[in-house]
Amino acid sequence: MQVIKVDPEKCTGCHQCELWCGSEIASVTKELPQSMNEEPQPVPRVFVEGKRFAMQCRHCEEAPCLAACPNGTMRKDPETGLIYVHEPTCVACWMCVMVCPFGIITPSPVFKVAIKCDRCRNMGYPICAEVCPTNAIYIEERQDYRSKKF
Amino acid sequence: MKYVIVGGSAAAISAVEAIRSVDSTSQIDLFSDEKTPLFSRVLLPYYVAKELSKPMLNFRSADYFDEYGITPHIGVRVESIDTASKTVAADNGETYAYDKLLLATGGRAIVPKIPGVDKEGISPLKTMADAERVLNMKGKKAVVIGAGSIGVEASISLLRRGIQVTLMEQLGQVLPTVFDEEGASIIQKVVEDMGVEVITGERALEFKGNGHVSAVATRDREIDCDMVLLAVGVRPDIALAQQAAIEIGSMGGIKTDENMKTSDPDIYAAGDVCETYDIAKTSHFINGIWPMAVEEGQVAGLNMVGQRAVFPGSIRMNSIGNFIGFPAMSMGATHPDECSYVEEDCHFEEIKHRTKNTYKKIILKNDCIVGAIFVGQTQKSGLITTLLRKQVNVSGFIPTLMSPNLNFLDLLPVLRQHGDVFTEPEFKEIMDTGL
Repeated sequence: MQVIKVDPEKCTGCHQCELWCGSEIASVTKELPQSMNEEPQPVPRVFVEGKRFAMQCRHCEEAPCLAACPNGTMRKDPETGLIYVHEPTCVACWMCVMVCPFGIITPSPVFKVAIKCDRCRNMGYPICAEVCPTNAIYIEERQDYRSKKF
Repeated sequence: MKYVIVGGSAAAISAVEAIRSVDSTSQIDLFSDEKTPLFSRVLLPYYVAKELSKPMLNFRSADYFDEYGITPHIGVRVESIDTASKTVAADNGETYAYDKLLLATGGRAIVPKIPGVDKEGISPLKTMADAERVLNMKGKKAVVIGAGSIGVEASISLLRRGIQVTLMEQLGQVLPTVFDEEGASIIQKVVEDMGVEVITGERALEFKGNGHVSAVATRDREIDCDMVLLAVGVRPDIALAQQAAIEIGSMGGIKTDENMKTSDPDIYAAGDVCETYDIAKTSHFINGIWPMAVEEGQVAGLNMVGQRAVFPGSIRMNSIGNFIGFPAMSMGATHPDECSYVEEDCHFEEIKHRTKNTYKKIILKNDCIVGAIFVGQTQKSGLITTLLRKQVNVSGFIPTLMSPNLNFLDLLPVLRQHGDVFTEPEFKEIMDTGL
């Protein structure tokens, strides 16, 4: 499957990916100035936290969030392998938050759902990769090192 | 190949999907003694609170069995297993042959032998039939016996329906297997502020009333009520296993090896009915929670279909989520006493951070995380759970782990030190960046 990778040599920690994810994906108005003032505030799904790196959902091969979800809200797209939250059925139990090895699921008491990157499943290309000014964020085919024979 | 699955909840469905991921044609017969298929027991408190309708409780869609080519037998109970002829006999009068069998019968709610417990208006909350019974009760004053996860959530469910609730727990704190005293005291206050009367340290000795319950008597008082919810725990449903002379473990669940196989080479077990190796306690335990049932079911299914899969060991974990408007989670041991002492020089550390409305605690055994509690602030708790499950030495990282700004990248040095344990590609992809 295609995964997002980030090159820390190119990342400047500028937060553009976070801003665009917040306004293009999470917000209602889809415009940056208005989305910053939206109530409730839109929640970006990519994290730039004090380092020159952006963290999104890794769409794990054996995703623990998939096993933890008690009502089939966390789903895996059979074609792309992408893991996404089917928000209408989410009951905010946050068992997925409790098991995510990367801490990238946001429990939102305001929206009453678990919020997670779905790698822009319904768009052509992930927005964070598209807008990164230094092309630090890119897409590559996943290599499962466990099956490599030396 | 013929596969027979006894059970229809998390472990059973997970096993079926694992089998079908490899074998799309063999016969799979699934038996569930519940008349409502594919509903999530975890969500019964939402149903009882009238916040979710029955279809919203499903964790798979209605056409699931057709889609996966499974022959379902809903409302049919398997009564006995003949391990010599490799057949099962069901209460519909039929027998079915199996090559591989999965026991995923879950647990039964404990009905305590308290005088008067068979009066009307008293029910546990485990099955859909229980939930419907509770939903249809016309009571105005309820007593919930047992303040575990189910008891606490059920109290709030009833409160939300306008019923006056008293929550009674015989031990000294609410949620005794989930939180320590400090964490439990914060949750108790939240629940009391919502309007539930909480009584700890008292046991129900008698249910009084003329045919229908009218009061609960303890040693010190009598509480008037017109409905009682029993939430005192569950016991693994091992009747079938016992009848088939399958080995039962010391905790009362079906004994399984790391491939989820029982003492019979063609019979596997998964979910709340079985015992597995608890990573935090370093002894066998029944960790009857949804995520473990799913993972165990997957390992069982893969082994049943001939693929080697190993279950790495279970841990207990509970999340209250947003149900009471105040998040709280805990995983592993809540107290060093829960862990067995493996060597003489075992040492434990408990690190706590308390603010007015939040509480965070991590328990270390020989510098590995064996337990954690998050009350009020639960973001990124999955990082701690993962370090716990991988049992890696985190000495030198305590300030990082306790910091409210903890994030994954701060833990990269730990991953690098233990690259042999963090083998999944999603970890390697980050480790390879050289960050």
